[in-house]
Amino acid sequence: MDQSFKIEEVEMDGVPVVSASGEIDVATAPPLRDRLQALTTSGKSTVVVDLLGVTFLDSTALGVLVGALKRCREAEGDLPLVIREPRILKVFEITGLTGVFPIYESVREAVGSVK
Amino acid sequence: MVERKTATVEVDLSIPVQADLVVLARLAAATVASRAGFGVEDIEDLRLAVEELCLSLVGTRADGRLHLSYENDGDAITVSCWYEAEAAVPGTWGGEADDLSLRILDALVDDHGRGLRGDGPSAWLCKRRSDATA
Repeated sequence: MDQSFKIEEVEMDGVPVVSASGEIDVATAPPLRDRLQALTTSGKSTVVVDLLGVTFLDSTALGVLVGALKRCREAEGDLPLVIREPRILKVFEITGLTGVFPIYESVREAVGSVK
Repeated sequence: MVERKTATVEVDLSIPVQADLVVLARLAAATVASRAGFGVEDIEDLRLAVEELCLSLVGTRADGRLHLSYENDGDAITVSCWYEAEAAVPGTWGGEADDLSLRILDALVDDHGRGLRGDGPSAWLCKRRSDATA
């Protein structure tokens, strides 16, 4: 399995979608933070974050996502996440963040929720 | 860098505090757990728990060394971790990320704690095999 970290960005129906893959940890979270920060400071109040390709995620990554969610909500937007992998979902569940983020099983569903 | 020992203490690891080297701490955890016969779920839990243990000690620091000791008694793995700074630092913790680390540790391991070793902060965790008899 390719564990290397990658970020890709596309726009779907006018909504920015940031797709991360690989392991998001203390070393790889900063580029994700920078990408999300760039989108919110450029005026995008809602960003879909696709974590379907993520194989590992730690509290640093959670901190980056929580920070981005706060900025989106302050701009009256949102930060829906796309997660299907039970192991990744478990990290959100044990930290109580499943009640904080809107979580969807597909990018299409997440984009549809904010259009 | 990795030293194998016999009997209880299996592996000692010492790494410079650099973000891209913390992966070595969780890699060693996965290797020790796999050799001890832990299942995939337990190994993944331990990998994340060890990452959080390291993060809770070093925070945003980027100097000094992190020392880890992995001890396997067959049914449980105990990981002890301590931070050796280049300059004296207070052995304190705190912050939002630290709160997340603690929640993750609470959920994934059977026991964990914090203390001081010398002048630096230390922490440990214990993870039992899910299929181990009490």
